[in-house]
Amino acid sequence: MELFGFDLDYVAFMILFCIGLHMLVVKSNLLKKLLGLNVMETAVFAFIITSGMVDSGDPPILVAGTNPPFANPIPQAMVLTGIVVAVSVTAVALALIVQIHAHYGTIEVSELKERP
Amino acid sequence: MSDPWSLLVPGLVVLPLAAATLVPIVAGRDPRRAGSFTFGVVLLVTAMAAALVWRVGEVGAISVPLGGWAAPYGIEFRFDRFSAWTLGLSALFAFIVPFAWRYLEGTLPRSRWHVFYALLLLNLGGLLGFSVTGDLFNLFVAMEVVSLSSYAMVAVAGRGVAAWAALKYLLMGSVSSLLVLFGVGLLFALTGSLNLIDVAARVAEAPASPATTLALASLMVAFMLKAALFPLHAWLPDAHAIAPSPVSAVLSGLVVKVGIVGLVRVLQLSAGSGTDLALVNQVMLVLGTAAIVMGAFMAVFQDDIKLMLAFSTLSNIGYIVLGLGLAAPFAVIGSVVHVLNHALIKVTLFLAAGSIIHQTGFRTLRDLRGVARVMPQTSAAMAIGALSIVGIPPTAGFICKWYIALGAFESGQGVYGFALVFGALFIFVYYVRMLNAFFFRPAVRAEVQAAREPAWSMRAPLFVLAALCLLLGIFGSIPLAFVEPAVVELLASMGR
Repeated sequence: MELFGFDLDYVAFMILFCIGLHMLVVKSNLLKKLLGLNVMETAVFAFIITSGMVDSGDPPILVAGTNPPFANPIPQAMVLTGIVVAVSVTAVALALIVQIHAHYGTIEVSELKERP
Repeated sequence: MSDPWSLLVPGLVVLPLAAATLVPIVAGRDPRRAGSFTFGVVLLVTAMAAALVWRVGEVGAISVPLGGWAAPYGIEFRFDRFSAWTLGLSALFAFIVPFAWRYLEGTLPRSRWHVFYALLLLNLGGLLGFSVTGDLFNLFVAMEVVSLSSYAMVAVAGRGVAAWAALKYLLMGSVSSLLVLFGVGLLFALTGSLNLIDVAARVAEAPASPATTLALASLMVAFMLKAALFPLHAWLPDAHAIAPSPVSAVLSGLVVKVGIVGLVRVLQLSAGSGTDLALVNQVMLVLGTAAIVMGAFMAVFQDDIKLMLAFSTLSNIGYIVLGLGLAAPFAVIGSVVHVLNHALIKVTLFLAAGSIIHQTGFRTLRDLRGVARVMPQTSAAMAIGALSIVGIPPTAGFICKWYIALGAFESGQGVYGFALVFGALFIFVYYVRMLNAFFFRPAVRAEVQAAREPAWSMRAPLFVLAALCLLLGIFGSIPLAFVEPAVVELLASMGR
């Protein structure tokens, strides 16, 4: 498997990851930071899914008439768990942002830093 | 699965997780029952961990294939000598839970007590799972259980400041988790396996490739971020200082160690990978030394006692990483045992600080002057903890730092030994400042003069912890001898 060649999906994954990282680091709005985190998560999920995919492969279910190559089901199971984790993290983060807004009246990091 | 011992290992993880979901039901109308129930579960888990540690000492590592599917295809739980840390882990929870009984009154509304205890149990289950799993993906899942419950625990005492600290912690923690997931996914794509031992073997067989290095590097950076190793520490001080004190004890003593245990696992993985381990060790040495000095430097200028303790965690993580980076037998043994001893000392210190804050309502050195006169017992426990963490013999902190320094000189890297001693002096400065304010300065606050010793359910855990700080110093050779075979094996696989 060519990992550092010019496979289009891996390049797309890297770009998506960097966009998310950029949002997380640069944006001042907490919601946008969280969105950046979600974009990064999507990038990693997409990477793991594509790593288990084979071109013109059959679904990995053994019935009469299926032939290898099969798509690898384990990355899909991993990503499914990963999505559950990501949803929980997002839920907790949103709840925290609501609390921050209720207390400070703002969700801009630049303004939060000025308050005690 | 007929061997009863092999049932204990998954039981160790499943019991606290299952109990966590039961806490709200058990609490019912009387939230105090949640506390007793949690304590019972933690005691049971501690007993199970003790039995397993004894068994590992007798027969060696216990491997349990879950659901009867043999490794490498099934998921494996593995209890080895490094996993003996789970005993210390659950035992420390057994001190933190009774301390929380009275502490929560006045800190948290009764209607939210069951949430707090459920989160504690989830956290314990995650930590135990992380320590015993032999599967890379399980490692990620357990880490997420620990992280999510930690974010929630920081915010549990409510209000905006705590939520803001928790969110900062969450954003940094999630990036680290994401890097772990990426590393695990990449390793799976490269080797087709998720079992730690199997992956290590397959990585060693395959020719070294930049992709392997990328996977291992992203895992390593992720765990350094989780361990708050300088310069990746920015999230730690706020989260640890703002959380309620029993939570600070869990976070600072136990949760940051997830990063260290993870680092040890990555070192096991990369041992045969053809990655340049000398470079990795060099990075760990430099970052470890920087963490010791910077942690101490920043702590000197703090006035808030909990912030001081949080920065002291940075220094101690530095000691542990430095010892691992030295890759000499003495230093690595010292580091591995310091994971436990630092947890013990930091829990003691945070609980002592917590009872002082709880009884007086103040948290800065200026306000707390003279507190030892009205709370002599608590202050004495705090002093023992402070002496331990500085590393004065014969306390628990001394023996590990001594071993790490021995390793530095033994392996001809004496300059790091001097850095370690210099760092210890620096750390001594701010703990002396703290003890001086508590013991020898006149009180400036009327509330401090009117304060009394806390209730027995808070004092008793403190006394036992302080006694353990001394006992683990005097009988410190027992844990050192216990992990030695595992460390020798690890270093041998790294070609040292």
